[in-house]
Amino acid sequence: MAQAAQPGRPVYSDAPVRLFALAAVLWGVVGMFVGVFIAAQLAFPDLTFGIPWLSYGRLRPLHTNAVIFAFGGCALFATSYHVVQRTCQTRLFAPGLAMFTFIAWQVVIVLAAISLPLGYTSGKEYAELEWPIDILIAVTWVSYAIVFFGTVGIRKVRHIYVANWFFGAFIIAVALLHIVNSAAIPVSLTKSYSAYAGVQDAMVQWWYGHNAVGFFLTAGFLGMMYYYIPKQAERPVYSYRLSIVHFWALIFTYMWAGPHHLHYTALPDWTQSVGMIFSLVLLAPSWGGMINGIMTLSGAWHKLRDDAILKFLIVALSFYGMSTFEGPMMSIKTVNALSHYTDWTVGHVHSGALGWVGMISIGSLYFLIPRMFGRKTMYSTRAIELHFWVATIGIVLYIAAMWIAGVMQGLMWRAVNPDGTLVYSFVESVKASYPFYIIRMLGGLLYLTGMVIMLWNTIMTVRSGKVVETPVPMVTAHA
Amino acid sequence: MEILYLLIPMSALLVLMIIGVFGWALHGGQFDDLDREGERILNADGEALTGVKLEESTAPNNAHRVDSH
Amino acid sequence: MNAPTASLDTTAAQPDLAVLDDPQEQQRFTRWREGRDGQRVGESVLRLSGMYCAACADTIEQALMAVPGVQSARVSASAERARIEWDPSRTRVAEMVQAIRRAGYDAVPDAAAPARALRQAEHRQAVWRLFVAWFCMMQVMMMAWPIYVAKPGEMAPDLWQLLNWGSWVLSVPVVWWSAAPFLKGAWRSLRTRRIGMDVPVALGVIVTFVASSGATFDPGGIFGHEVYFDSLTMFVAFLLAGRYLEMRARHRVASALEEALARMPQTAQRVRADGSLEAVSVHALRPGDVVQVALGESYPADGELIEGQTQADESLLSGESRPVSRQCGDALVGGAVNVGAPVRMRVQRVGADTRYERIVALMQQALTERPALARSADRWARPFLWAVLVLALGAALAWSLVDPSRAVWVAVSVLIVTCPCALSLAAPSALVAAAGGLARRGVLLQRLDALEALARVRRLFIDKTGTLTEDRLALRDLQRGAGVADAELDALRVGAVVLARWSRHPLSRALVQTVGSDEAVPGEGGWTQVREQPGQGLSALDAQGREWRLGRASWVADAPVADGGDALQVAFGPRGQVLLTFCFEERLREDAAAAMAALRAAGIEPALLSGDAPARVQRVAQRLDLPVAQAGATPERKLEAVREAQARGEVVAMVGDGVNDAPVLAQADVSFAMGDGALVARVHADAILPSQKLQALADARSIAARTMGVVRQNIAWAALYNLACIPLALAGWLPPWAAGLGMATSSLLVVGNSLRLAR
Repeated sequence: MAQAAQPGRPVYSDAPVRLFALAAVLWGVVGMFVGVFIAAQLAFPDLTFGIPWLSYGRLRPLHTNAVIFAFGGCALFATSYHVVQRTCQTRLFAPGLAMFTFIAWQVVIVLAAISLPLGYTSGKEYAELEWPIDILIAVTWVSYAIVFFGTVGIRKVRHIYVANWFFGAFIIAVALLHIVNSAAIPVSLTKSYSAYAGVQDAMVQWWYGHNAVGFFLTAGFLGMMYYYIPKQAERPVYSYRLSIVHFWALIFTYMWAGPHHLHYTALPDWTQSVGMIFSLVLLAPSWGGMINGIMTLSGAWHKLRDDAILKFLIVALSFYGMSTFEGPMMSIKTVNALSHYTDWTVGHVHSGALGWVGMISIGSLYFLIPRMFGRKTMYSTRAIELHFWVATIGIVLYIAAMWIAGVMQGLMWRAVNPDGTLVYSFVESVKASYPFYIIRMLGGLLYLTGMVIMLWNTIMTVRSGKVVETPVPMVTAHA
Repeated sequence: MEILYLLIPMSALLVLMIIGVFGWALHGGQFDDLDREGERILNADGEALTGVKLEESTAPNNAHRVDSH
Repeated sequence: MNAPTASLDTTAAQPDLAVLDDPQEQQRFTRWREGRDGQRVGESVLRLSGMYCAACADTIEQALMAVPGVQSARVSASAERARIEWDPSRTRVAEMVQAIRRAGYDAVPDAAAPARALRQAEHRQAVWRLFVAWFCMMQVMMMAWPIYVAKPGEMAPDLWQLLNWGSWVLSVPVVWWSAAPFLKGAWRSLRTRRIGMDVPVALGVIVTFVASSGATFDPGGIFGHEVYFDSLTMFVAFLLAGRYLEMRARHRVASALEEALARMPQTAQRVRADGSLEAVSVHALRPGDVVQVALGESYPADGELIEGQTQADESLLSGESRPVSRQCGDALVGGAVNVGAPVRMRVQRVGADTRYERIVALMQQALTERPALARSADRWARPFLWAVLVLALGAALAWSLVDPSRAVWVAVSVLIVTCPCALSLAAPSALVAAAGGLARRGVLLQRLDALEALARVRRLFIDKTGTLTEDRLALRDLQRGAGVADAELDALRVGAVVLARWSRHPLSRALVQTVGSDEAVPGEGGWTQVREQPGQGLSALDAQGREWRLGRASWVADAPVADGGDALQVAFGPRGQVLLTFCFEERLREDAAAAMAALRAAGIEPALLSGDAPARVQRVAQRLDLPVAQAGATPERKLEAVREAQARGEVVAMVGDGVNDAPVLAQADVSFAMGDGALVARVHADAILPSQKLQALADARSIAARTMGVVRQNIAWAALYNLACIPLALAGWLPPWAAGLGMATSSLLVVGNSLRLAR
């Protein structure tokens, strides 16, 4: 068990880890609540009550930013700071700077929570925040990079564990993507114009958008997966060699998949085709990673029966596999002709977001939080089990509803009479989608309920645990 | 599609940098003896493995890098 | 896994280990470099023993790190090796080994380290080149696809230019770095005025690159506006992949050989102060030790001959095949084989792995030599290459009349598609992969050429003793001659045992074993001028100068003696009189019958070729249903038997392990040596059977036959492919990307087909 720190003996800098982990749970609840709210609004539009700050158009970006950057971001900060220290056998490079990243990131989140409902937006998806906040994000991110790479630089173990490669790539890629895509000309404190125009802007936006998914939501969380699954299962990664190949293969192919978001738009045909082809190529490395993670349990499948955290982690990988199959399929032009702008896209996003990103974060946080408070397990393991089932049912309801709605919308929109007129009016398709909006909202509500259970469990764990400092293992190194 | 005048040179530069990083990793021995690396993280974590030499603890970040846990 | 060391004396640790810090010895497993603050840092590699799981690696690393002066310790669990960086001003290797021993393990210097380091460096370079090629290939393909996919007029010309420029930038590292081995290889072969296999590849690469660069920077110019950077990078990438796979196979075989050799016991017979003998690891020898070297074994170290006279076979060291005679006082070179008589020598300089290192070097060499099959394929390749060049040139000329813009590209396609890489890789890749597959089944091939003969083996000559029968012989009876008193019995026995220790013959070893392990046998016994007569026994002079003999009854008695029925007999007595007879019982190996059946099923007809008495040989033959080629055979008769079989047109394989087997092994078409047989047999054989299981021979033959099949398949494929593609390329129907893809896939197919043999 962890020992009390001896005088003069270095300890891990776990304060940022602790804070980010708790923040992640909090923002998860908040972000998902907003999500449920706007889902309700789609079925019950009067839920805006005429208040501009509650309008769907303003709350949607609040939801996406909150779940991706607040919940996902804090989870990534927490786990990356935790993993890099443990695998490099050293405390953080600049713990003070790491604390700064925590504070600054919370400021970013709060500013987002204020500015987005107020209607200040750049209109670029997943990059809606206006330029002053963008600058703060850039500053925070550079600090993050300094802390992370600095820690790798002062490592005591020569080999850099594979999870750190994923984290590192995620940090660098996001920095690049953010700086390029958010380039804008400010005209006032709350308004700016993108440095790019028209179809050029669209290309940059979706180069950013898809790579944000690929590096923020995939590479970063794969880093999490490669550490917490072996730790929880107490078995090494199935094939360490494959994990390295997986990493480099992913890096090879991700950069060019962006145009698949712009099929049948003003983007030249050839750009669309290129995007499609490379989205398909992406399938291989993604599945390689998934198989590697799931097979880690090979020979120990029985652990899944009793271990709810492992359930979260492994099921997350199944959703990862599903989404990385669905995505390339949807990037095929003929399929996309049906799915574009429908709720199928939303279903795809949420199977990835709730299934992969959500569950892997939840599982990792359940591993991490008790250890940050001197405990081996959360306050209630039964609550974790309950959370798992509630969340899974929620996801299933959500994506099933969206698939059906999406395909239905696509078919309805393209249905053409023999004389060339449309069979259905748009409103008719909206009406037909109504029941599915309700089901989706219920699914989301279940998922939110699960998060609330997690919040409760976290609070109880913190109250019954205590902050302990973990000493860095000393290998007798000689100067 | 003038934006490609930005994206393509940038991606070419990126490719060269990524190759550089791979080369650094390869020649730094990152890919030697991979069989044990997967298991390393499972070893005792946060617990002292051998006796501490107090004179070392004052400058932990200057100690030589080792290949053990 | 067997630890490579025999009885290491762990209590008196210090003296044993001192040798590890002898500078000459140390350089075999240590490299020196400059450390951070300019002081010298040693990097040593030790082979570990006693590890039974991966966690042992951690224990050993910790033990090493606790030694002051050790800067880093890295243990590879799978390879059972430790790489240690240490400060020579603060510690010594002896202290590190002591720390390992205290932790419950053991370590010896790893003399194979330099070879392995070389392989690792080669591997890293190959991976580096491969990565650059594949990574750039992917990116270049991404840039090339828009051009393929865009409809005419859809893409602005300057955008087209931009994509080409991007492709150019990313092709430069591939051409200048990844493809460098091909370019250098082509340059080297041209300098010797020959067309090597790399020449068309290099030409193809350079022409494609130059022409595509021209088309990029001057689209309206002589090179047209088509670029083929994607084809270029693709076929460099695929070709490198094929070569990489072949290199991996080669490395695997070399490493398997080293591992197997390292496990073979390396013991020496050291003479103690009281004259008795003890078996020690060669690593434990120190200058000044006296060791006894049996006939057929090698000198464990450099030293001086102090007793007896003999001949030394230094072919391993100098290539000199005729043994050199050595007298008392002459220097003996460690690693040379003692082929004259058993001798005693005083160790002067310890090169603990001299012998081992040399054998490994010899084997490495054998593996890198191009086998006869490959050389004959090369002979075909050369005129073929000339033909290719002529064809390419011809195509360029012809097309420059028909459609000048395509002339260059057709020529390039011809060059690329007809690369005879498949031809040149056909044989070597298969042979090396087969060697790997054989190694897995316990047959260590030392000469790749032997595979060809092995595939056609019809007749296998095997010895009886030690091969078909268990090496451990049980003493059944001790008969004394007339007039031997009880009191004398013990002394006689001891004398016989002491004399027997001078030889490695199975019967001698059995005799030694009757006394129990290393029981204090009073040393001298006073034997001098010990000689071994292959096929008969040992002779020596006692303290009074009388000649005594130990061996065949008729030889000891110096007169024909009736053979003793069932038991194996070793007679002992002064020349002319048998005083003592040791009767041994031999048992058939359990798997002997199954092995014979397996051999027959594989198409090999075994036959007994034994020096043992006909009656006994007949019995074994009956039990196993084997024909007896010769019984009671002298080495000369054995040789004759092999020759007769060959004259009948049979391809003959021979399994031997005795000192006297060496010439017969050389005569056979394929020769095998048993794992712990005489060193001289092991060295000269085509393959070693460390497992000593005859069943492996059956496997070996089927693998060899499959290998020849694969070689034929590969060559047939290479030929067909060329026949089909050359006309296509000449007619202009094969764009360079297709040519590159075809050639690359063809090479990969050949290597892949060969790799099946490695399983």
